[in-house]
Parts: sequence; structure tokens; C-alpha cells
Amino acid sequence: MIDFFKLQFILLNRKIKDAGLNPLLGYLLGLIAFFLISEFMFNKTNFAKYLVILTGLSIQFKFSEKDRMDFLISTFGNIKKIKIRLIENFIIAIPFIFILLLKSSPFEALVLFFCSIISALFSFYSDFNLTIPTPFSKRPFEFSTGFRKSFLIFPFTYALTVFSINIDNLNLGIFALLLVFITILSFYNVPENEFYVWIYADTPRDFLMKKVLNAIKNASLLVAPIIISLLIFYTKQFKLILISFFIGQTYLSTIILAKYSAYPRNISISEGLLIALSLYFPPLLIAFIPMFYSKSIGNVKYLLND
Amino acid sequence: MINIKELSKSYGKTEVLNKISLNFLKGNVYGIVGENGAGKTTLFRCIAGLENYEGDIIADNKPLKNHLGLLQTNPYFFSKITGIEYIRLLCNARGMYNIDIERKNIFDLPLNQYASTYSTGMKKKLAITAILLQGNDYFIFDEPFNGIDIQSNILLTEIILKLKELNKVVLISSHIFSTLNDTCDEILILKRGEQIKFVQKIDFHNLEQEMKAITIGDKIDLLELK
Repeated sequence: MIDFFKLQFILLNRKIKDAGLNPLLGYLLGLIAFFLISEFMFNKTNFAKYLVILTGLSIQFKFSEKDRMDFLISTFGNIKKIKIRLIENFIIAIPFIFILLLKSSPFEALVLFFCSIISALFSFYSDFNLTIPTPFSKRPFEFSTGFRKSFLIFPFTYALTVFSINIDNLNLGIFALLLVFITILSFYNVPENEFYVWIYADTPRDFLMKKVLNAIKNASLLVAPIIISLLIFYTKQFKLILISFFIGQTYLSTIILAKYSAYPRNISISEGLLIALSLYFPPLLIAFIPMFYSKSIGNVKYLLND
Repeated sequence: MINIKELSKSYGKTEVLNKISLNFLKGNVYGIVGENGAGKTTLFRCIAGLENYEGDIIADNKPLKNHLGLLQTNPYFFSKITGIEYIRLLCNARGMYNIDIERKNIFDLPLNQYASTYSTGMKKKLAITAILLQGNDYFIFDEPFNGIDIQSNILLTEIILKLKELNKVVLISSHIFSTLNDTCDEILILKRGEQIKFVQKIDFHNLEQEMKAITIGDKIDLLELK
């Protein structure tokens, strides 16, 4: 069992190295980013503690996928599998429980603790092969697959929007809008198999334009209920709402271009750093977007035989 | 037509293909045979433009890849993509929309289920259906018969013969000799990245006997089975 965790540690370090970072620095930066984002969330909304629980549990669920469970049972047996899952869930839960305690939410920390135990005992994916309907089925694949992987987030954000209107808190509504965009960005965080670029009978330019335009169109559809509701109830603040929408769309396009500028590898620390810089000073995007675009063209050119 | 001249491919110092020159004509089905590691898949990937290489690959329809249906040995599917979406994706990529996919589902696949839940044979049939609906002029089938049931095997053989009738260029690699015997006009034998010979249909029987003799030799006796 110890060997299993040693191997997991090696694999994690390898992933951090692949992203262009020293593992130690990776852990440090990860922790700093975690606490900064948490701080930001707790300053912005009262619902941050629930988001912390949800995020912690969603990471734990990923570790209980059927294939992984099958591997653990066949390799270690059922008892050791449960022990491994309990240890994994505790390791994952530690930073989340710590932040909840730090923010004076001991009850929520306790809820996360017990949920971590329960989720270690079960596999949540065993028979869950029901096809989730999606409005993006006609133009696969990023939105159709991404929507299904994170479909619970959408009713949650729509409910959050209704709630924000009820309690007259536009910031919460804007937060719901940005949460949808952040979820959409995750649809583009892994480079697809080269076959799925190769199949296109397009020039690199057309390929990238189609990817970006399709994303903008589909993202507009997903945020439409939030945008329309906010515009109806906060007509005077239409500029803020539309600017938030525009920012979301701009970063979505940027991430797509950044993804292909790194293709076929994952977005690494260098692209990530540029995006982080642009978050602090958005006008930098004027320089970064053409740079990502130009690198993307070069990267997909060989597969599109242009 | 696909014309290959002096095609070579190396990975570092390892030479995988060595100065291969071939001419694949319209309306012909070609079998590519060779042991594991002979270079069959690399040859296919070079033709598809998925690999950089030395030499020339010329086709009458340019660029070749936009008219080529490629069936990979192990097709990759996204985790939450349904069968119908996979076919749509491949057709959309070639600018084809509004295809009646349900009607053309000749392998009776559960198209509204996630492709990742399909069996190995079903995945292969899904990938074959998709490249057939793309309207290609050239086809590469890398191990198309592996894992598919006997009924689909019969259907696929007929499909390949239909493609030949439609004047397409079809390349097949298979480890099952009978499938090549049923479909191919010529068989190319590759060995360690070199083309050994082209065998015409009339000599397929001799080739099979020759391959049996070389492959089996006295290996069975070594087992001393009792």
C-alpha cells in the first residue's frame, strides 16, 4: 500500500514537471493559489463555504471512478481498497477543511469530513451510463462532452442567479455568470488526441476560427439565462453585466488559443503565467492573443497538412 | 491513385521504413502484411500525414488527408461522446452536415449511448461507419476485422468489395489471412520496414502456405504437447 502512494507521488511530481515546474515550487504555488482563490471567494460571497465543500467532494469523486476502483480491488482487495480511498480522501480534504476552519465554519468542515469518509466507501460511477441530453449534440465535441461532465454546475448557477435577484445582490449574479465561464474554460484544458485535429479539412486559420466561434456561440447559450435575468432586474447596471460577459468570452477565446499554442502538450507554466498576468492587467491580451494565435497556427499546421 | 516514392521514416536512430516505393491504383484493394513492428501502422500514418517522413507521397486528390478515411487499430473516443456525436464530429470536420445517420447505422449500434461504453468490436464498427459516411476516396483500414463479430465480418467484407467497385483506393492491414484473401487484389509484404514483395491474387494460396511454413516451422513440436 505504501508503494502505491509512493507511485502516486512520483506520478504527481511527473505531471508538475511536465507543466514546466519544479515539483516543490509547484506545491508551493498550488497552495498559494488555493489560499488566494479561497480568500477571494470568501470576500465575494457568503456561499464560498459551500463551494469549498463542493470543490473538495468533486475532486474526491474523480478518484472513485469505476475503472480505478476495479484496479484497486483487483490489485489490493476490498479492505485495502477502502483504506487507500480513505487516506486519499483525507489528503484531498485537508486543505479544504483547513480553509473552512480558518473562516470559522467548523460545522461545514465537519460535513466535509464525514462526506469524505462516505465517498471513500462507494464508487459513484459504477452504473451511471445514462446519456445526459445536451443542446450541443449537433456540433460535438468540446461542449457536448464538457457539458455532460459538469452538468450539475449549470442548474446550480441558474439557481444562484435567481437567489441573487431575490436578495438583490448583483455581485452574486455576476459571480454565477463567471462560474459558468470558468466551467466552460475547463472544457479546453486537455489537448485532444491528434486524430481529432487531423480529421478537419480546414486551413489552420479556419480551424481555429471555427473552434473560437463555436465556443462563443455555445457559451452565449449557456450564460443566456443568467445574462437575460440580470439585464431585466438590473437594467441600470447593464454596462457591468455586459462587460462581465465580454470578459468571459475574451478569456474563453484566449484559453482556446493558448491550448493550441501549446498543442499537442498541455498548457504549461509559461502560457499559464501569461494568462495570469493578463488577469491582473487585461490590456496585455492585445499582445497575448495574437501571439497565442500565431503559435497555434504553427502547431496545428502539420496535422492539417496546410 | 496514391504514389509513394522512396519513403523513409526513422524515430531517432531506429529506422522504421526504408525507401519504400509503391503505387496504389483506383478500384484496387491492397493488403499490407507483416509481423508486429514491420512498419505497417507507420506506413499508414505517413500516408495520412500524421508523421513527418522523407520521400514523396502523391495522390490525385489534394490534400490527400482531406479525402482519406483512416481506421486506426485502436480508435480513441472521448469519455462522454455518444456514437451519433462521434459520427457527426467526423462528418462535420469534412464540412458535411444533416446526414441521416440513424438510417445509415448498418451495424445496428446503440448510437445514443456513450461510445466509451461500447465493446471493442462495437467501437471498431462505429469508427468504420464514421469514415464510410465521410464520403472518402481513399481508405486505410488498420486491423478492421479485429474484435468484430462474424456477421459484421461478412458485412465489412462486402463493404470493402463495394468500395472497390466504386473505384476507391483501399489499404488494409490484417493478421487474419482469410479476410485479405476475400477482399484484396494484391498483398504487400513488409519486413522490418522494407518492402519484400507484392503478391498477386492468383498467388495468395502459395503465399499462405509459405507464411505457414516460415511461421510455424517446428515451433509446435518444441512445445512437446501430450
